[in-house]
Amino acid sequence: MIEAVDLTKRYGEKLAVDSVSFTVRPGRVTGFLGPNGAGKSTTMRMILGLDRPTAGRVTVNGKQYADHRAPLLEVGALLEAKAVHTGSSARDHLRALAATHGIGRKRVEEVIELTGLTDVAHKRVGGFSLGMGQRLGIAAAMLGDPKTLVLDEPVNGLDPEGVKWVRTMVRYLAGEGRTVFLSSHLMSEMAITADDLVVIGRGRIITTGTVQDIITASTTGSVRVRSPRAGELAETLRRDGVTISSSEPDRLDVTGIDAPAIGELAAQRGIPLHELTPVSASLEEAFMTLTAGEVEYHSEAVGDPDTRQMQEAGR
Amino acid sequence: MTAVTTEPGRAPSVPRDAHVTFLGELRAEWIKFTAVRSTPWILGVTVLVMIGIAALSAWSFSFLLDNPEETGGAAAFPADFDWAAQAAGAGYIMAQIVVAVLGVMVVTGEYTTGQIRSTLAAVPRRLPVLAAKGVVVTIASFVTGLLGVALGALVALPLLSSHDITLDLSRDGTLLSLLGAPLYLVAVALFSLGVGTMLRHTAGGIAVAVLIFFVLPMIWPNLAPDFFQDTSPYLPSIAGARLMEGVDPDAVLSPWQGYGVMLAWAALALLGGAVLLRRRDA
Repeated sequence: MIEAVDLTKRYGEKLAVDSVSFTVRPGRVTGFLGPNGAGKSTTMRMILGLDRPTAGRVTVNGKQYADHRAPLLEVGALLEAKAVHTGSSARDHLRALAATHGIGRKRVEEVIELTGLTDVAHKRVGGFSLGMGQRLGIAAAMLGDPKTLVLDEPVNGLDPEGVKWVRTMVRYLAGEGRTVFLSSHLMSEMAITADDLVVIGRGRIITTGTVQDIITASTTGSVRVRSPRAGELAETLRRDGVTISSSEPDRLDVTGIDAPAIGELAAQRGIPLHELTPVSASLEEAFMTLTAGEVEYHSEAVGDPDTRQMQEAGR
Repeated sequence: MTAVTTEPGRAPSVPRDAHVTFLGELRAEWIKFTAVRSTPWILGVTVLVMIGIAALSAWSFSFLLDNPEETGGAAAFPADFDWAAQAAGAGYIMAQIVVAVLGVMVVTGEYTTGQIRSTLAAVPRRLPVLAAKGVVVTIASFVTGLLGVALGALVALPLLSSHDITLDLSRDGTLLSLLGAPLYLVAVALFSLGVGTMLRHTAGGIAVAVLIFFVLPMIWPNLAPDFFQDTSPYLPSIAGARLMEGVDPDAVLSPWQGYGVMLAWAALALLGGAVLLRRRDA
């Protein structure tokens, strides 16, 4: 269980995390979703007591992280790939971390095997790929067999097999009743992995809830219709609360009325349908809708004279 | 795909009462210290350099005593000058640079690589980390210095034997001169650890340490105003070097007073490091 209350972090002028409150519950995978620079990593560092909050507080399993007698048994953390001395071997890194808590050699070998690092455990971490670095970070997080896992971008740099492995593992760990909190800017990955979401943009919580609720609440499902008499059908469907757009002559994208109703109306008028498809919104689209205007770095053509003229005209 | 082997509840290989202890953190720091391959190498080379300088010093003393008409012989030295001990410990001057670099890098190496976040997440109270690093560099620098002096003496003595010079440990001040180099190196390592913790940057930390232990003692005492003359005995390097110079009635500080002043400097640097380590974001 992780509880953040009015958590705030200011770096000079910049408010990196702005009065953020959320609860991460045990037995579920909670995704921490937001664009790059939204404050995800800063929030996670505050959870682990690495960064001191400017205001507010965050507790893990009822206590501030630093107050735990055995932090590695409470929280396993993956903060960034390769938070490891490059001159050390993977095994020595894990042995040193384990030694702080009096955890023995056996557990070190277990997490090495668990993360598939057996063949490279004796090698210097400096030569590791990003993916191997991530596996080592997850191995370190698992050392104390912790009740809570905090994973910052765990699938970053992993190959598809590795991504699947992380997904399976976090689902399994949550299934055992552990608390799993993982961040990502990949909405598609979150849609598959997470139960709950905390969505953050520019340091502020945009929304929290289950993945399904967030998709439902932030988008409206539409229906794609194809018909040789599309224009006539559009006239039939037009009424309050229904919006119709058309990108091709024989195609309509309809919102505000569901597919069965469209089918029945078409049948009454004898209008043939070639396609009638409900289109459910993806988390990706929900995320775009939610974070529109919250993304710190918009991609825009600053050098484009048209854009500049428009900006100047707008002033 | 690797099978997930964790069972519900705690893995049996993780002790139920496992928790952070200072001894555990000390072991962790020792593992990290020896895990980086360059460390034993650097310390081994340091011992070799100390032996080499001891041999050179002994050879040069021998030359000086052999050619009194050119060099003035022993006349230029105090009557009770301890030739053997001075030759054996002469290498400290080079060794202190290595030890300073090591003291700085034990902590800045963690900041450069990101290791510090793993370290502080495991020991979030932070100060035990600095304390354990202090113990590790103390042991490493003392043993290096001791080996350097002991082996240096073994090499130096045959070169001085033609002048009936021996190493008499019962003689007043001899043992102190010999132990002086390892003790001095400990203070250098601790001071550098403090500086490294404050600055968090390898290059900056090394620059400050070299400036203080190598450059300052060459410049400060030679500046004209009285202020510099009066304060120079209290510079960390000059104060600490009193240990190796033996009893000197003209000196402002006795050997142990001098070492006390040097340790006070080291304590100040460590205190600064400790305060910043506690306060700053990692």
